[in-house]
Amino acid sequence: MEVPELNDYRAHLLDALDDQPRRAAEERPGFLQVLVNHERIGTLNCAQTDPSFAYTARERSIQHLELRSESGVLIGGCVAPEAGQKSVRITVGNGNLTLHVQNHFDGGSLRVNYEVAPGWWSHLATAIGLPARAAVASTQGTTVWAMTTAFAQIVLAVGVVALLAERLPAWVGSEDRAHQLEEELAARQSTQDQIDKVHQQLAQLVESQTAAVAVSRAEQDRMAQLNTLIDTVAHTQQRLATQVVAVQEDLKTVKTDVAQEVQTGMRVAVNAVEADRELVRQDLQAVKSVNETLVKQVAVLESRNRELHARLALTSLEVAKANASSKPVVVAKNDPPKETPAPTVVPVSDNLREADRQAFMFWVAFQDGTTEKSIEDLVQELNGIKKGPMKSGWYSVEVNLPNPEPPDRFLESVKRAKIVKSVVTSKAMPPAQ
Amino acid sequence: MRDGQPFSARLNNVVTTEREFDELVTKSLPELLDRATGQTKRFLRETNQWGDDITHEKLALRWGYELVERFVVFGRTEVPCRPFFLLDSLIAKSFSQPDPLCYHKELLTPVGRFLDGLASRAVVSRDALIALFYHFYGFSQAHVVKLLGFGQAESQRVYKNFERWRQSGWQRTMNETGLSGPDIEILEQELRTRPDHLNNEVDRLMPVLQSHYRKSEPEHYPCLSEQKWGQLFHDDYGHDYRVWHLAFCRDCFLEVADRRQAEVSNGLKPQVNLHIHPLKKGGVLALFGGDRGGRHHGSTRAQRLSRTSA
Repeated sequence: MEVPELNDYRAHLLDALDDQPRRAAEERPGFLQVLVNHERIGTLNCAQTDPSFAYTARERSIQHLELRSESGVLIGGCVAPEAGQKSVRITVGNGNLTLHVQNHFDGGSLRVNYEVAPGWWSHLATAIGLPARAAVASTQGTTVWAMTTAFAQIVLAVGVVALLAERLPAWVGSEDRAHQLEEELAARQSTQDQIDKVHQQLAQLVESQTAAVAVSRAEQDRMAQLNTLIDTVAHTQQRLATQVVAVQEDLKTVKTDVAQEVQTGMRVAVNAVEADRELVRQDLQAVKSVNETLVKQVAVLESRNRELHARLALTSLEVAKANASSKPVVVAKNDPPKETPAPTVVPVSDNLREADRQAFMFWVAFQDGTTEKSIEDLVQELNGIKKGPMKSGWYSVEVNLPNPEPPDRFLESVKRAKIVKSVVTSKAMPPAQ
Repeated sequence: MRDGQPFSARLNNVVTTEREFDELVTKSLPELLDRATGQTKRFLRETNQWGDDITHEKLALRWGYELVERFVVFGRTEVPCRPFFLLDSLIAKSFSQPDPLCYHKELLTPVGRFLDGLASRAVVSRDALIALFYHFYGFSQAHVVKLLGFGQAESQRVYKNFERWRQSGWQRTMNETGLSGPDIEILEQELRTRPDHLNNEVDRLMPVLQSHYRKSEPEHYPCLSEQKWGQLFHDDYGHDYRVWHLAFCRDCFLEVADRRQAEVSNGLKPQVNLHIHPLKKGGVLALFGGDRGGRHHGSTRAQRLSRTSA
């Protein structure tokens, strides 16, 4: 059921297409609608004197141009290139439409002119000897003037014919030939005079007409110049607008670039500072760890040094004891001894004692919850003195070793105390926890 | 030798004269229409706007017809050319326009197609444009003249527009839109039985329709403020603007009609009032009859419409 309906519709449309040229040909030029790119942009009134229509498109070129009658019949049109020009001439009724499109990529201009076909007065003017070009020009330019001229010419022609008609019977039916000849001559003279007058008038008319045509042409030229000027101004404005937009865009781009560069610079600088700070922190940590290592090594070396001192002292004592025990035997065997070796031994042992009495400082950490009293008791028990306040849980204690006991053994004895958590021998600073 | 070729083959060959072009095109209109319709269908399918039903088939035929109509007229200016290639390029150019067609599912109903056909025609025909005031709001020629504030010469044009529309414009538009006699009868029936429903439907569809077809206005035709409308009428300028804008902008129309109701009507508010057929010769409408602002459609329409002659 649907297919016949569709076929009917298709047949309707084909009929309409088939009928389109006839409808277009039947249209009389009146108000013509001008559509550019399927948008109605104005009307051309073909009944006006010198009907023309101009339009300038911005942003987009004139690609489709349609001319339609008021009832919507498509009279003519063209497809224009995106850039370049196109001129088309279309016959409408008794006249011609001239379409001229000038496109560039961001706009275009359009000019539509309607030329009325030359009227009967133009043909008449041509027939009576006026220059055809002048007749055409007068038709195009000043229709009213042309009509007036033609009317005057017709009146003159009718006058001449009437005069001849009046004289003709007299020439035919004359009795007195001489009189007739005289009259004829007089009439001829009169007619000649009138014809001369008519010629003069015609010459004046032609001059006036030529002057009017010249004025009309000058006006047309001026109009053309004006239109060209307007087009130039429009193009310049358009170019200026484009340049302004381009400059604005450039400014925007420059602003954006500068902002980006500043941000990038800032970011790089901040990153560099951060990196430097990180390096410094790492250096500090390295220095700190090296320092700690050095402190530990110094402590170890000190402890070894003390141990060596202690051993040296012990060895000295043992040597002294051995000397002391062997001296009586020597004395008994020999003469009264010269008092020379003793002074060398006593100072050594004295020196060792002095060294033994040297203060021995160590760091001790106590178990959590150990009271100050217990700490004081232990320090007293060790015959030591607390040197300075507690640092990070470590107490600095200085003792005088009571006998030539190695510091390690002393420290081992200190470590065995219940309240002691740890003991080290660093002098300079408390050990890191 | 070339006469022996089928048209499709000849349409691929170069045509060298306008006369040859005219003859060939006249003889091969069915092939050209089918080609344009086929490409329109393809475009609709590719843009997910196609439905496999008679309404879409008609829509494709209608747009194909419009493309071929332009091709027939423009093609003569492109000779020498290959007709099929030229048609294809014309179609491609049309479909590459931004938003080239007015496709809306709701415009595929009978009333939607009716409104779409009218608006589409009004873009290219002043007769149809003036007739919109009647079909949408029930304004006769006299009311249109008063609404638009026209003088003697413009009034004559309006009367001519109504006359031509009545004689042939409306029927041609219906034919070209694909609204058959039964379709129009259905609309008439609905307008008689459920006028309010149909007018509400028109009221709802008008913004969709007008937002598309108002693109045919020049860019410098924006909606005006009430004050500017007043100034435009007071200073008596912008006649073309009034016709175009008010026919294609419901809001401005209602505002201006409301503002000029003293001149246009008997002081009642204008409203959407659908008319299917054109106003017959000598038809006089009593606009906005009944109480102020009330809706009177359908059954009361017959009372409000009196015709002085058939």
